[in-house]
Order: sequence, then structure tokens, then C-alpha cells
Amino acid sequence: MSVIADIKGVGLGLKRELIPQIQRLFNDSSISNIKFVEIAPENWIGAGGKAAADLAWFVERYPIVCHGLCLSLGGPDPLNVAFLKQVKTFLSTNKIPLYTEHLSFCSDMQHGKAGYLYDLLPIPFTEEAVKYVANRIKQTQDILGQRIAVENASFYVAAPISTMDELTFIKAVLDEADCDLHLDINNIYVNSVNFGFDAHAFLRGIPHERIVYSHIAGHLQVEADLLVDTHGESIIDPVWTLLEDAYQLFGVFPTLLERDTNIPPLTELLPEINKIAEIQSANALKRGSVAQYPCASQAISI
Amino acid sequence: MLAFQKYQLEFTAHIRNPAANKKPAKVKDSRMAVYREIVFNNIFGSVSTCFPVCKSILGALAWKKLVREFFAQHQATTPIFREIPQQFLQFIKTTKNLPDYFEQLAHYEWVELAVASQPTAPKKLSKKMDLLNETPVLAPAHMLLEYDYTVHKISKKHLPKTQEKTFLLVFRNAENQVKFIELNPMTFELLKLIDENGMSGEQALIILAEHIKHPDTDAIIQFGAEILADLAKQGAIIGSQSHTTDYAS
Repeated sequence: MSVIADIKGVGLGLKRELIPQIQRLFNDSSISNIKFVEIAPENWIGAGGKAAADLAWFVERYPIVCHGLCLSLGGPDPLNVAFLKQVKTFLSTNKIPLYTEHLSFCSDMQHGKAGYLYDLLPIPFTEEAVKYVANRIKQTQDILGQRIAVENASFYVAAPISTMDELTFIKAVLDEADCDLHLDINNIYVNSVNFGFDAHAFLRGIPHERIVYSHIAGHLQVEADLLVDTHGESIIDPVWTLLEDAYQLFGVFPTLLERDTNIPPLTELLPEINKIAEIQSANALKRGSVAQYPCASQAISI
Repeated sequence: MLAFQKYQLEFTAHIRNPAANKKPAKVKDSRMAVYREIVFNNIFGSVSTCFPVCKSILGALAWKKLVREFFAQHQATTPIFREIPQQFLQFIKTTKNLPDYFEQLAHYEWVELAVASQPTAPKKLSKKMDLLNETPVLAPAHMLLEYDYTVHKISKKHLPKTQEKTFLLVFRNAENQVKFIELNPMTFELLKLIDENGMSGEQALIILAEHIKHPDTDAIIQFGAEILADLAKQGAIIGSQSHTTDYAS
């Protein structure tokens, strides 16, 4: 269970609250659609005790993906190489084949000192930023000795200094860095409402040959034109439609449900997990085969 | 510095301290408000969860103000979420106008989290536990702590009026639960000699008897043996190993 090809079907973001429930229901057919889980290395690196025991339990039973939050690929402070080396060790110790991060920043420099803010902040979309972020992705891939995927992030403030749109920025970074894409379906939708663009048109422009897997989640509607990416609600219909559209356009790829706040019992998340699996089956059948990717095994889902 | 980085720093300076730093030019304030709120709330939640007693003593308003200052002034150096409370401990060391006991109380509150998640390596134990002739082995995740206040008894209703030395053994048991044991000064010294110098139970007790100039070393050894056995019963001592440390040299 240690290669990227094992990341397939439907995944679930592993929150502490869900762990005992998954452990209890393991081997029960009701959760058989959960094929992989995702963890944030920032929550697990260096943890002993109960956390270490839980992690060991999952390592033996599920393919795991690391989805980082604090690498700060777009951050103004130097890339945290010591942390990346910890990530590298963590991946190899726990046989985790894939590490993904966000196209965002979460650290700054104030009074000459670097500091973390522990949240995902938007990178202005400029030529300089493309080069800068791509170089840091390359540096990351060099240190880890493996490719990473970066995720399209949700955001709320458009930088007035941006000289290109988000899609152009994402494509430019992926090309320049030659890395993979961790496609967040909900983030496309959230940004489309927050900045008034057509989510389906955006999706069509995605360099789909780079997709390793995708995220889907719920969000919070604060105003008519403001969605906050809380991962704390049920997935809404337009986001389901966007996922279906993506499968039809690009073929089925692995998809993971993120639920990070307002976490209900696992049994209440199962309908969403099963729905992803159903949409995957329906679209795999429709196409008759999965899309041919450079690494086709990554795209097979069922 | 690149132009987009200048913007990023204006952006974060404003989030950290909106009163002192203007938002970047031409960005929508209603949208900046989302970041002002979610970024602070995230850190506020993480810090508040770890320090409930500190929070209740200061009261909601003063607590929020303190965490705000932390966010505004402290450049946190770790990407690991679990270590955010430790960053807060560093910050309050340099903070004025807090009660004298506050730093130690906060440390005590943090210890539970620290011991719960302390990484450990398996210990090699002798087949038969011999706490006097061998080195007693403490639970792999533990801390021996010395405070100037009765930190474990502090609450909003029981604020310390004077200093009072307090010794604690905090450890994680086999069921991964964190346990606290209050120690008398003698037992604290005994465990320090064993834990830090790798002495056998008997060797540590002989040294202790000399320290306190006790006339009856055998009585101290017998008394100490009972204490060690009791700690083993509570899961704080998990066994013994032959002592290889040449502490005499």
C-alpha cells in the first residue's frame, strides 16, 4: 500500500473525531467505499502516544496521502527546509506515496523575522509570483526526491496588483514547476462565486493531464457573493454538478471528501462518500474506460 | 523584495494588527474582514483549548486581548500545529503585567498536551523488575517538574497568595492517558537521580540519605523501596534495567 496507484476511488480527510468510528466500522460494508485517507503532516509529524498508535493503525489498513497546510509555497520567508526534511522522513516511515500542498502562503516576515499564520492566504497572480512559486515547488520536489501536486486554493480578496487571472496563474505555475495538480472542485466553485466567473468554463481550462486526485467539500454562504470555504457543511448541488462535469471532461479521478469543521458522525458523511462513488461508477461506465493519463494507474478509480 | 511580496507583507501585517496597520490599497474591506476573522480565530481556538485555567483567570476579554497581542507580535517559528501553545509560552515570558504565577500555570497547562504527544522509543526492560538493584525505568513519556507555585491547585477561585514549591511527575500510562502525581521533595530528588543519572534505586537512596544526613541508611532504602513500588503500581515506573551508566566517573 505504498504507491500512488493505490490512491483511487473515494477518500476521506482523516479527522481525529472520525478515527474511532472508522476503526469500529472497519470491514463493515457500510464504509467500504472509503478507499484512502488524507492527513495533514502538520498534525502528525513528531506525535507519539495515541496519535502515533492511530497513525500506525491506518498505515496498515489504508493508502494515505499527505496534504500539507504550512509549507507556504508562496510565502515571503525562506522555504522551511528543515520541515521539508521532516516531511520526507514522515512520508517514508509511514509509506505515504503522495504529498500535496496549496497554491497559497501561510507565513510572513515582520521585523526581519519569519512567522507562521497557520492559514491559507492568497498569492497575487503576477509573473514574478509564478517564477517564485514554481522555483519553490521545484526546490520542494528536489528535497523530497519526488513530484508533488499543488491545489488550487479558495480565497476572498482579489489582489489589485494581479496581472493575470487565477487559471492563467495556475497553469503557468504547473508548467514552470512541472508538478502535478491536486484539483479542488469546491474551491473552483467558491472562487467562481466570490469573484464572479463561470466555474464550468474555468474547469475546461484546467490542465487535466496533471490531476492526481481531487477534493470536494461543503462551504458556508455568508452573502450572495461571498462563500467561505469552511469544509463544515454538506456539499451543494452546483458542486456535485461540477464534479460530474469534471469526470465527463477528463475521465474519473480519485476524489476525497473534506470535512474539517462542524463534523457530524461518520454515518452522516457516508451518503456523500457513497454519492462520489456512484458518480465515479456512472461516468466510468459511460466512457467505457478511464482517461489515458501519462500515469494512467493514478486515474483509475473503481 | 519583489513587488508581490511587499503586498503580501502589507496583507499579513494588517491581519495581525488591523488597528496599527492599514489594509493594502484598493482591496475590499468587507473581504479583508474574512481574513481578519478566520486567521485570528484559528489561532485563538488553538491557544484557548490548551490553557483553560489561564483563560478563566484572566477573563474572556483580557484573554482575547492577550492572544491578540500574541498574534500581532509573536513570529511563530513552527509549522506544526501542536506546537502553537509552546509558541504562546515563549510569548508570555516576555509579556508584562501578568500575574507572577501566570507563566508557570501556563506551562503546567501545556504539559498535559506535551506529554500526551511526546514521541517515545521502546525501552529494554529486565525480565524481572528489581527497583533497588537495577535502574527503575519511568514511563517513556514523562516530565519531572518543579514549580514555585501550587500550579495544579490554581483556579479562578483559588489564586496563589504566596510561593510554594511544587514537584510533579507527569507521565503517559500504557493506555495513553496522561497522569499527574504530586511528589514530595525527597521523591522528586530520588526520581531525578534515577532518571537523569541512571542510578539503581539503592544507589540513589544511599546518596539521598547522605544528602539529608540521615543516620539510618537502611531505613531510607526500605522507605524508598516502598515509594518506588507504589509508583510502579501506578504505572509511572514500568520496570527496571541493569544500570550501565558509570556515574561515579
